[in-house]
Amino acid sequence: MTTATRPMTLKELSRSEERFTHGHRMCSGCGAPIVVKQVLMATDYPIVAANATGCLEVSSCISEYTAWKIPWMHSAFENAAATMSGIETMYRAWKKKGLIDKEVKFIAFGGDGGTYDIGFQSLSGAMERGHDMLYVCYDNGAYMNTGIQRSSATPYGADTTTCPAGDVIPGKPQKRKDLTKIMAAHNIPYAAQASPAHWQDMIKKVRKALDIKGPKFLNVISPCNRGWRSRTDDAIQLSRLAVDTCYWPLYDSNTSLLRRIRGCSRKSRKI
Amino acid sequence: MQKILMKGNDALAEAAIEAGCRFYAGYPITPQNEVPEHMSRRMPEVNGIFIQAESELAAINMVFGASAVGARAMTSSSSPGISLKQEGISYLAGAELPAVIANIQRGGPGLGNISGSQADYFQAVKGGGHGDYRLLVYAPWTVQEMWDLTLRAFDKADEYRNPAMILSDGIVGQIMEPIVCTRYKRPKLPQKDWALTGCAGRKPNVVKSLFMGEGALEEHNLKLKEKYGRMKKTEVLYDSLYLDDAELIVAAYGIAARIASSAVRKLRKEGHKAGLFRPVTLFPFPEKKIADLCNSKRRFLTIEMNLGQMVEDVRLAVNGRAQVDFYGRPGGGVMTTEELYNVISNKIISGQNAMPLRHSPQKSQ
Repeated sequence: MTTATRPMTLKELSRSEERFTHGHRMCSGCGAPIVVKQVLMATDYPIVAANATGCLEVSSCISEYTAWKIPWMHSAFENAAATMSGIETMYRAWKKKGLIDKEVKFIAFGGDGGTYDIGFQSLSGAMERGHDMLYVCYDNGAYMNTGIQRSSATPYGADTTTCPAGDVIPGKPQKRKDLTKIMAAHNIPYAAQASPAHWQDMIKKVRKALDIKGPKFLNVISPCNRGWRSRTDDAIQLSRLAVDTCYWPLYDSNTSLLRRIRGCSRKSRKI
Repeated sequence: MQKILMKGNDALAEAAIEAGCRFYAGYPITPQNEVPEHMSRRMPEVNGIFIQAESELAAINMVFGASAVGARAMTSSSSPGISLKQEGISYLAGAELPAVIANIQRGGPGLGNISGSQADYFQAVKGGGHGDYRLLVYAPWTVQEMWDLTLRAFDKADEYRNPAMILSDGIVGQIMEPIVCTRYKRPKLPQKDWALTGCAGRKPNVVKSLFMGEGALEEHNLKLKEKYGRMKKTEVLYDSLYLDDAELIVAAYGIAARIASSAVRKLRKEGHKAGLFRPVTLFPFPEKKIADLCNSKRRFLTIEMNLGQMVEDVRLAVNGRAQVDFYGRPGGGVMTTEELYNVISNKIISGQNAMPLRHSPQKSQ
């Protein structure tokens, strides 16, 4: 079984099983499947996943096909964390009754709309109740699935279809919600930010999170070339740039200790 | 007047602005995204307010708040989102607040799909949320009607102090057609003296749906019943085609009626006595007109894009005086003119029952 103490090498990664497989219908160059792949490759625990409505859910389970090689469940937009709470509670009850002895880990995936906005209530509830699960938010900064509408993760000044930038209004007039900080404020054992460009760091965070009992939250930046109007091969470069420019500092919060790994150094500000 | 090419959803949004709606709260869901997108661009230009809420629940309750202070308020969504709004809609109806809610229906149940459907008929017409209430329900079949009925919905909502619903679908919402954007003329409407506009110099107003006193809620419900009764008397709208000598009357609304009308026209050209009856208001339902249409020679065929919902109201109106059959395509399945032509002509020629479903689920290769 994996432990957080040792980082994974590329060689090990290449040998680990791909549990989010090819054949899904995400746009070429999308950040989200890279994030999911990295999260699932980081561990060899049996994983049960729940998914909020969004690009990831729609594109990975079209018709009778699925890209998930693990048990996976979707119910609606606002309740990935609630669905996972139910599954995890059932697992705990089974374990107590001796019906299952496997060490299973639970991961919920949601986009920023399904996490920051409509799914916030169920996420907050699940974290407060202390379910043993990891919630992974892939944050691409807007409702990309429905056509690039603003979300509370959309950064200040961004141009979306419901906060269009024009001569008078320069884009989204509000600042974005700092969800990782809010999740850390739930005093959960582990909350962190990661980026697929820093895969070693992300894998380490996932491994660390899964070895902690209780509710964990991981916020991952996930560039969307359709929404960001960037090139299809830019996702990794952009997520690296987001870290280097302090837009997306990589840090983890272990209960109350806030630790910055990489981010706003004076040197990186010059970029 | 000049015709302009417009998308159904854009026509709905622009018509709301034309009707004086200055408050819109919405949330993204396909296939209605053009409505909030249009509103986000246009509302600042007309000094109106556009809010993208954090959920459908928030959006409908923002409308509740805006309506309570007397604003012409609107929200829109598509089927799963309308399900989330049901609590708020029930509260609007309970507190007698006017509002316009657009449902650009998509396939269900559950997440369903994003193609046009008519499966929310029951939800829209029979209440939807909790409690004994009704919405004024308008069912447009063209982009032109998206415009016209939206103008009307705001007036009627204000007149009756009742939420009105535009029950459209993904197809009418997404198609583009040339329309005449008729100018809005405000009819004589009662003053909104119940609105919460600040009570300096007058008695405070109360807007509520909570009635705890002995018999108070029953009394309130009976008052609502009387209001729905008035709607039934005066607000019924319908449309028809070749009804006079029709032996088979196709009853359909919205996009299904649009497809059926082509089939009926084709059959008429061939000399078959087919007609079309299209309810424009689904509540109040044109039950009296349907009852009047019944005679010993006539049969009805209800065509819907669901498993049979409006057919129940047609049967209630017919009340056993004529045969009522049903043909439907559920789950976002769209019928073709040829398909309906075959269904209707089979019905006319042989009198055989319409097949309830044409397709068995196909395995994709």
